Amino acid sequence: MTHDSKTDEILLDIKGLRKWFPIKSGMLTTVKSYVRAVDGVDLQVIRGETLGIVGESGCGKTTLGRVILGLIPMTEGSVHYDGEDIRMMTNRDLRRRLQIVFQDPGGSMNPRMSVRSIVGEPLTVNGIAEGAELTQRVADLLASVGLKRDHMNRFPHEFSGGQKQRIALARALSLDPEFILLDEPTSALDVSVQAQVLNLLEEIQSKRDLTFVFITHALNVVNHVCERVAVMYLGKIVEIANTKDLFSKPAHPYTHALMSAIPEPSLDKVARRRIVLSGDVPSPANPPPGCRFHTRCPIAEEGLCDVEEPKLESIGEGHSVACHFPLGPGMKLPILGDDQNPPEDDDMPNTVLL
Amino acid sequence: MMPGKLLEIEGLRVHFDTLDGPIEALHSVNLNVDQGQIMGLVGESGCGKSVTSLVTIGLATCDIDEGSVKYEGKELLFSDSESDKKIQEISGRITAVGVLASIIFVFWAILIDPVQGATFLLVFLFVSTASWLVGFAGKSEYRRHQKFMRWVRGNEISMIFQEPMTALNPLYTVEKQISEVMREHDRLVKAETPRFFFKAAQPFLIFFAVCLVLAALIIIQIFSVGPPVIVLVVISAPLLNRVRVTQALVSPLKLAFRAIRLRPQSASAILAVLAFVTVAHLYGFADDAKNLVFLLVIVIPLAASWTLFKNHNAALRSEISDTGHSTNPSIFTKGWVRKSASILLPLLPLGIAAALVMFLMLWMPFSALLGMVVISTLLALPVIMALDYLRLDPAHTQQVISILEAVRIPNPIAVVNMYPHELSGGMRQRVMIAMMMSCEPKLLIADEPTTALDVTIQAQILQLMRDLRDEKGTAILLITHDLGVIAEMCDSVTVMYAGSIVEKGSIEAILSRPRMPYTIGLLHSIPTIDDESEHRDVLPIIPGQVPDPNLHFDGCRFHPRCPFADELCISTPPPMIEVEPGHFAACHHTNRTENVADVQGSFDVFAAEYVLKGVA
Repeated sequence: MTHDSKTDEILLDIKGLRKWFPIKSGMLTTVKSYVRAVDGVDLQVIRGETLGIVGESGCGKTTLGRVILGLIPMTEGSVHYDGEDIRMMTNRDLRRRLQIVFQDPGGSMNPRMSVRSIVGEPLTVNGIAEGAELTQRVADLLASVGLKRDHMNRFPHEFSGGQKQRIALARALSLDPEFILLDEPTSALDVSVQAQVLNLLEEIQSKRDLTFVFITHALNVVNHVCERVAVMYLGKIVEIANTKDLFSKPAHPYTHALMSAIPEPSLDKVARRRIVLSGDVPSPANPPPGCRFHTRCPIAEEGLCDVEEPKLESIGEGHSVACHFPLGPGMKLPILGDDQNPPEDDDMPNTVLL
Repeated sequence: MMPGKLLEIEGLRVHFDTLDGPIEALHSVNLNVDQGQIMGLVGESGCGKSVTSLVTIGLATCDIDEGSVKYEGKELLFSDSESDKKIQEISGRITAVGVLASIIFVFWAILIDPVQGATFLLVFLFVSTASWLVGFAGKSEYRRHQKFMRWVRGNEISMIFQEPMTALNPLYTVEKQISEVMREHDRLVKAETPRFFFKAAQPFLIFFAVCLVLAALIIIQIFSVGPPVIVLVVISAPLLNRVRVTQALVSPLKLAFRAIRLRPQSASAILAVLAFVTVAHLYGFADDAKNLVFLLVIVIPLAASWTLFKNHNAALRSEISDTGHSTNPSIFTKGWVRKSASILLPLLPLGIAAALVMFLMLWMPFSALLGMVVISTLLALPVIMALDYLRLDPAHTQQVISILEAVRIPNPIAVVNMYPHELSGGMRQRVMIAMMMSCEPKLLIADEPTTALDVTIQAQILQLMRDLRDEKGTAILLITHDLGVIAEMCDSVTVMYAGSIVEKGSIEAILSRPRMPYTIGLLHSIPTIDDESEHRDVLPIIPGQVPDPNLHFDGCRFHPRCPFADELCISTPPPMIEVEPGHFAACHHTNRTENVADVQGSFDVFAAEYVLKGVA
C-alpha cells in the first residue's frame, strides 16, 4: 500500500502496530487510561533504502523505533523482519541483524569503559572475536568511522560529541548488521559536525549495503539523507512519500505547516509566507476524535474531520496521505500568520512603537 | 533618526580559572546592540556566546581581564580602584591574624593566666573587628554596584534561557514566580486587601492572635458565651486592622466552604460520619454502632474477595463453554453488579481505613474525641491561615493574568495557578517570556530560546518575540546556533568562533556575501529543504573540530580548519577588516573570499586532504 511499486524486497513489514502505555493510578494501580504512543502504523521498509520518520516530540517516532527493534513489547499488530516475526526471533539473532544508534552519544556509553571495550563488547558477547583479533577488528571499525587506532584506549569523556557519535556508530556496526535504526543521531551535534556525521552515514551505507530508518525532527536533514519519508503526528503516519514528492508537493496540511515552519539560512526563503500553527500538540493520552490534526488544521471541516478518521490512501506513486482534503500540487493553505502582518488578536493592540 | 546604542561591549577578554590553569573564554569581543534592534549572535557550542551574555548581566563566574560593557553609557563591569583593593587585602590579613590570636588567647586565659589572657583576647578581638569593618567599608563601592546590577537585571536587561523547565522553579505556581519578579522591581499595583503588618511576621502574628482567642474561648466554655466573645474581640480590636482580623477569623470558615464546594461528595461523607458519631455518643448507642462497624471491617474485604473470585470463575466459565447461553445464571455476571464492583473495588482500602477510624471514634469517650478535635483544629488553623495569607492579592493576580494574555497563553486564568510541570514546552517558554516582559526591559537577551522546542512551536515563539519588538521596541540579543532562526529574526548578525568574533554585519551581508571562511563553511554545511537547487550527494563540511579552549593560538583560531591558512594566519591574529560599509570580517585573506562558490570549492579540496591525513 505504502511502498514503491518497484519490485524491491521488503525488509521490514509493519502492520497495524500499536503501542499503548497504561496510565496507572490509585492504591490498587488500576489502569486509568492509555497513552497511545503508536496507534495503528502500517509501514514497509525496503532493503537498502533510508526511510525517514519525521514528527514533533511526543508523536511516537522513538517508540515506533523501539518497538521495531523489540526493545519494548508491542501492544497490537505485527512486525516482520525479512519475513520473520520479530517476536519469534531470539534476542541474539535480533540484535545481530538490527542495531540502533541513540540520540545522546554520551548517555548511551558506559563512562567507565574504554572505547575498545565499548566497541568490542558486542563481539565478545557473541563470541566472535577476542584477544588480538578483537583489537584488530575494533581498530578496523574505528577506521571505518574516521577514528584512529590510538583512540581505542581512551574513555568516552575524552571525545567531542561528534566523535562520540562516531564511536556509537562503530559499536552498532560491530556485528555487521543489515539494519540500523538511527534515533536522532545528529540532534545533539553542532551544525558543522552534523554535516560530517551525515556524510559518514551515507558513506557507510553505500559501502556496507545497509538499511537505515532515520528518526528525526529536522526535515532538512531528512531531505538530504532519506529516499522516503513518513510524517508522523500523534502516533499515526499522516503522510508517506518519496522525499522528492514530499518536498515538492506535500499533500497533508500538517506536512505543509511543518515544512514552512523550518527556519532556513537564506533571505529569499524568509520572504515566503509561512503558516504558523496555533496551539500545542494534543496529549496522546486523550487524542482528539476523528482526524487527530483537526484541532490545529486550518482547512478542517466541521462534521467530517472531527468525526471520521481519515485512512492512509494512495494519491500517487508511492505517495499516501491520511487526509480528507489532501492538497494537490501547488495548492496553498489559507495563511494564518504572516511575516509582516501578525495574526489579528483581539487582546493585542497592534501598535508599532519602533 | 539614528537609533541610539543600547549596549556596547568593547574589547572584552575573560578567562576561567581552573585547576589546569586559566582557560581563555573570550578574546577581545566587540559587540553593539542598537535600540529596537534584533542582533543575532551565532556560533557553535563552546564558542563563548553564552559567556558574553552572562558577563553582560554580571552573572558570569569568570574573571574579567579587560574590556568594558556599557549599557546606555553606564558601565556594567565592575573593578575596584587600586586603593580599595589594597585596603581590602590588608584588612583581610589583619582580620585573619587577629582571629587566630584571639583563639590562642582564649586558651591562654583558660590554661595559663585568666587576666592576662582576657586582656589580650579583648585587644585582638577589637583589632580584628575594626579591620574587618574597614574592609567592609572598602567594599562599599562593590556593594553599590551589585545593587545597581540587581536593578539593571530584570528592569533594564532581561534574559530568557534555553531550557524553561530548569529556569522556572518547580515548587511555585506561575503567578507566584511572575509576581516575585514584579515585587522585586516594584512593578506591582496597590494591593486590594490592605496588609499592615510586616509581611514576614503576618502568619506568626495571626497564629498568636488565633491561639489567644481560642484559648479564651476554651476557658470561657465555648458553648455558653463563645459567640459573644468572638464578636467582642473583633469589635474591641481597634489597634489591629478590623477588616483583616475578621478575615483571619473567618478565613478558615471560608476555606471550609470552599472545600465543601470543590469536593461535595467526600466533604458530605466526612460530615455525615462526624454527625453519626456525635449522635451515637449522645444517645448512647455508640457501643452497638462500634460492633457493627467492626463487623464491617471484617465483612467488607471478605465480600470483596468473594466477588472477585466469583467474577473470575464466571468469566472463565463463559470463556470455556462459549456456547452462548449460560447454564448457571449467577448475579455476578450481571452488568450492574460488575459495574458497581468496578467502582467500589478500588475504594476498598480507603473504605477499610475509614471504617477503622470510625470504630476508634465510637470506641473512645466522647470527651476525648472532642479534645482531639479541638487540638487538631488548633494545630491546623495557623497552617491553613498562613497558607491563605501567602496567596497572592487579587489585584496582583489580575496583573499577572494580563501579562500572560499579552504573551498569548490560552486560558490564562487557569494557567496562573499551574506549576511549570503542568505546562508544555512552548507554554513554559511563553511563561519565561511573560516573566521577562513583566518589567518591560529595554534589552532582552534570549539564550537559545527555541532550541528545546519543536519547529511548529518554535515558529510561534519567534513570532511572539518579533511582535514584542514591534510593539514595545525591545531590543533583542538573540543567541543561537541555528542560522535559520537568525535569518528569520535578526537585523544584523555577529558570528563567533572559539571565543572571538569573526564576522559581523547586516543580515543581508552575512547571508548572501559572507567573507570569513568559517561563515561560508557553516552556511554551506546546513542541509536545506530546497528541492530546486542541485542536490549534492555529499554535504559540504568544515573539516576538523572546534579547538580545545585550553589551546593557545597566536594567530587566527580558525587556521587549522581553514583552506587559506598560511604562515601569517598562524603567527598574527587577523584584524577586523571592513569589507564593505558596516560589514566586518576577521580574516587575513578577505581578498580571496569574494566569490563564495570558489571558497566552497577550496573547502572541498581541503576537506578531502584533511580526511587523507586522517585527523577527523
